Amino acid sequence: MNAPILTYVTFLPLLGVLAILFIPQQSESGKNAIRWVSMVISTFVFIVSLRLYFDFDPDVAGFQFIEKYTWIPSYGITYFMGLDGLAFWLVLLTTFLTPITILSTWTAITKRVKEFQIAMLVLETAMLGTFVSLDLFLFYVFWEIMLIPMWLIIGVWGGERRIYAAIKFFLFTAVGSFLMLVCIIGLVYFHNQETGELTFNLLSLYNTNLARMYEILFFGAFALAFAIKVPMFPFHTWLPDAHVEAPTAGSVILAGILLKMGTYGFFRFAMPLFPDGSAFFTPLIVVLSIIGIIYGAMVAMVQPDIKKLVAYSSVSHLGYCMIGLYVLNRHGVEGSILQMINHGISTGALFLLVGVVYERRHTRLIAEYGGICRPMPIYASIFFLITLSSVGFPTTNGFIGEFLILAWWVQRGSGALRLVHNGYVQTYGAFMLLGLVVMVWFFIV
Amino acid sequence: MSDLGFSFSLSQLWQVAGGQIILIIAGLVLIFVDLWLSTDKKPDHVVTMGWLTALSFLVALWYMVCPGWTLNEIVVIGVFSTEKFAIFVSAVILMAGIFASLMSIGYLRNNQLVRSEYFILLLFAVYGAIAMVQSVDLLMMFIALEVMSLSVYVLAAFLKNDRRSQEGALKYFLLGSFGSAFFLFGVALIYGMTGTVNITKIAQVLSTGSFLEHPGVLVAMAMLMSGLFFKMAIVPFHMWTPDVYEGSPAIITGFMATAVKAAAFGIFIKLLSVTFTPILAYSGQPEFQSTVNLAAMAVYWKPLLWWLALITMFVGNLVAVSQQNVKRMLAYSSIAHAGYMVLGILAANDEGRMGVLFYLFAYTLMNMGAFGVLYLLDGQEGKAQTLEDYHGLGFKYPTLSFLMSLFLVSMAGLPPTAGFIGKFYLFAAAIKEGYLLLAALGIMTCVIGAYYYLRVIWMLYMVEPSREVVAGRVGVTSMIALIAAALGIMYLGILPEGLAQVANVAQQSLAMVF
Repeated sequence: MNAPILTYVTFLPLLGVLAILFIPQQSESGKNAIRWVSMVISTFVFIVSLRLYFDFDPDVAGFQFIEKYTWIPSYGITYFMGLDGLAFWLVLLTTFLTPITILSTWTAITKRVKEFQIAMLVLETAMLGTFVSLDLFLFYVFWEIMLIPMWLIIGVWGGERRIYAAIKFFLFTAVGSFLMLVCIIGLVYFHNQETGELTFNLLSLYNTNLARMYEILFFGAFALAFAIKVPMFPFHTWLPDAHVEAPTAGSVILAGILLKMGTYGFFRFAMPLFPDGSAFFTPLIVVLSIIGIIYGAMVAMVQPDIKKLVAYSSVSHLGYCMIGLYVLNRHGVEGSILQMINHGISTGALFLLVGVVYERRHTRLIAEYGGICRPMPIYASIFFLITLSSVGFPTTNGFIGEFLILAWWVQRGSGALRLVHNGYVQTYGAFMLLGLVVMVWFFIV
Repeated sequence: MSDLGFSFSLSQLWQVAGGQIILIIAGLVLIFVDLWLSTDKKPDHVVTMGWLTALSFLVALWYMVCPGWTLNEIVVIGVFSTEKFAIFVSAVILMAGIFASLMSIGYLRNNQLVRSEYFILLLFAVYGAIAMVQSVDLLMMFIALEVMSLSVYVLAAFLKNDRRSQEGALKYFLLGSFGSAFFLFGVALIYGMTGTVNITKIAQVLSTGSFLEHPGVLVAMAMLMSGLFFKMAIVPFHMWTPDVYEGSPAIITGFMATAVKAAAFGIFIKLLSVTFTPILAYSGQPEFQSTVNLAAMAVYWKPLLWWLALITMFVGNLVAVSQQNVKRMLAYSSIAHAGYMVLGILAANDEGRMGVLFYLFAYTLMNMGAFGVLYLLDGQEGKAQTLEDYHGLGFKYPTLSFLMSLFLVSMAGLPPTAGFIGKFYLFAAAIKEGYLLLAALGIMTCVIGAYYYLRVIWMLYMVEPSREVVAGRVGVTSMIALIAAALGIMYLGILPEGLAQVANVAQQSLAMVF
């Protein structure tokens, strides 16, 4: 593990940005060149990240591929990257989805191609950096850098109400993350008082003993930042707007990767840093997640707009992830991680599929999709398959995570009520998406 | 410990005040150069004058930094001192001066103002600011303050045919004189109380304890602080800011928001940390042990600054949201930025002072940059300054718009820019001292700030153009200055440690040497 492979993976996309900067985009061939550069570089990143797959040793506890250099020594800030089982999968998901997304923009984005591809590649760097950094400051920097390209992707290449959606996305996320910065600094100084060591190193900060009040306060702020990103129930309102207005590529990245940062943040930062705070908020989070699951599914059911449907179904699915984390045992967390990855793949695929039709017919209304299986049988089959996976049908990838989460949630005690709850929910979810399939398959206009 | 006595020698004078001397001589020489150049009535002489001004700033900067920084002790002659703190702030001021003079070349040409007294006024303004930062004597501080202010008043009124410029300058003059009067009155009072105007001697007298609770001292402190709050544009002393900033020539606005503010902040920190705080207790000198008593002073000004920081951040950011004119919006935002810096002063620890110095540096880069782009997009002053005018310019003027976006993102405090790091230092300092609530409220105002900064960017990139806007001619000098500012912002955003160390050494010189 001598080569700093995480750094390579994280910053390689920026190399593509450099190249793209010098390609003029006036002509069609220039645009194509930009697309190719972007495509090649992101595929290359994926290939490099496969190296991680082969070198990653699942039997080793703790972090691998560690890189650590001092960055801002006077504040104990380090350039500290590492990979564990969770981040590993999320990194692979990111590097896997990005080239696909870029491929999907080939004909979808025809205006301002250069700027778009730059935004995509910067976004990839920021996302990868967020997943691999183990220094709170470094993490925060990547976390914030992510905002601007996503904001631009929604705002410049989005639909009708793109500005509203973009600014809503930005403000929601900024409120949470700015407060988080204050709490990060607060935590660091409490750690400093306790041990005399000024550091932003996550692994050292895990050992901080905070007063209960501060645990609760800080967890509250962290949880707010991550809950907005997840998004959990009362903070979810930016998501449908952002999804609907974003171009297909934006939606895929948003649903596939950005939402996972919320759950990832809970698992990596909020919960282990402030266990007492987490325990204090557990009932609230569980209740909100359950509400999110049911509410998301129900609202999804009545959406005429397919993108909104998928967006609300994400609220529901991410509720599962949160419940899985708050089962607070190994299997629940495993389920949650599986659900994160699989949701990324399935929902990303759904958005891509929606994009396919949208690009041709410029409609997102489900009612107008009726009978699409006739002219586009292959499309419809794939749609069906993906929908099954999103529903959580056994033998698809969506099943295993949800099953684990539910099983261990029920097993955790006083199960009856929860079983009923979640049984209903599952059914709702299934209904809503099967309903969609029924529409697509059987309504022949 | 250096000689607080008033020994005098020419070599010492040159050592301490060399930068100022260079600027004065340059100013006087340039007056004649200007006369000589302008006889043939060619607009070119503005360019020459601009470059000569920038050059004299550069020489002064070199002189102050290169030999100055190696001095390990403070050198005082009578009213001036040179210590690393003053050098750092002077460097920021000179940097602002260099940016201003380079960009003014293009500005004057675009606005067809072929009057090169502009540069001489700029020179004297910078001279005044530096003299102010270097002075250790309240009277000299006042005189330098006036030298700086008078030059800036005239510069603010430089657009002769623009009524807003006249209005702003008059307001600035009246309210600024008012502020100066406060300052002077504070000086008089403290002289009456302690019998001296030298700031270290005042601290010595105060530390004997008998004066500490004396209302006269407190009133004097309040007066001095109010006078400076005017210059720093702290709410509720900010009323003049928006009008003046909107009316003045764009470059001068940038200069006022950076150099003048840097000078005022420098003096403010000096006054608080040398004259009115317990910080001297740490310098380990026997005669200052008793200054622990001065801690009592902090009891008076800390709650005050707490509230001022809060309302300054809130008012600045909130009112900026409703501005349609970008220049006016930047004026309000500069009030908010002053609020962030007060946070660092309030913390009154090493990190806080270091943070303020770092932020002054970073803010100078991004603010001069933003005003530079503003004047270029403007074409002619006031032609295209509103948000509406910015619609869709992003793809018409990609380079300018990108630079503007970068400067605004930095002001909004988003990584990886110097603005983010500076804000991080300031907030970290405040949090370290336990001002968690204030920091949390302050960071919420940053969200508001981010909103209106990004609004400009979305006007640039996300809205279709609503009317034809023609940017002014983009001169080479302006472009060089802008790109330098942009690179500086990125560099400091990624590798801030170097400047932070320098700023830290600078602020330590206040505590250790006086």
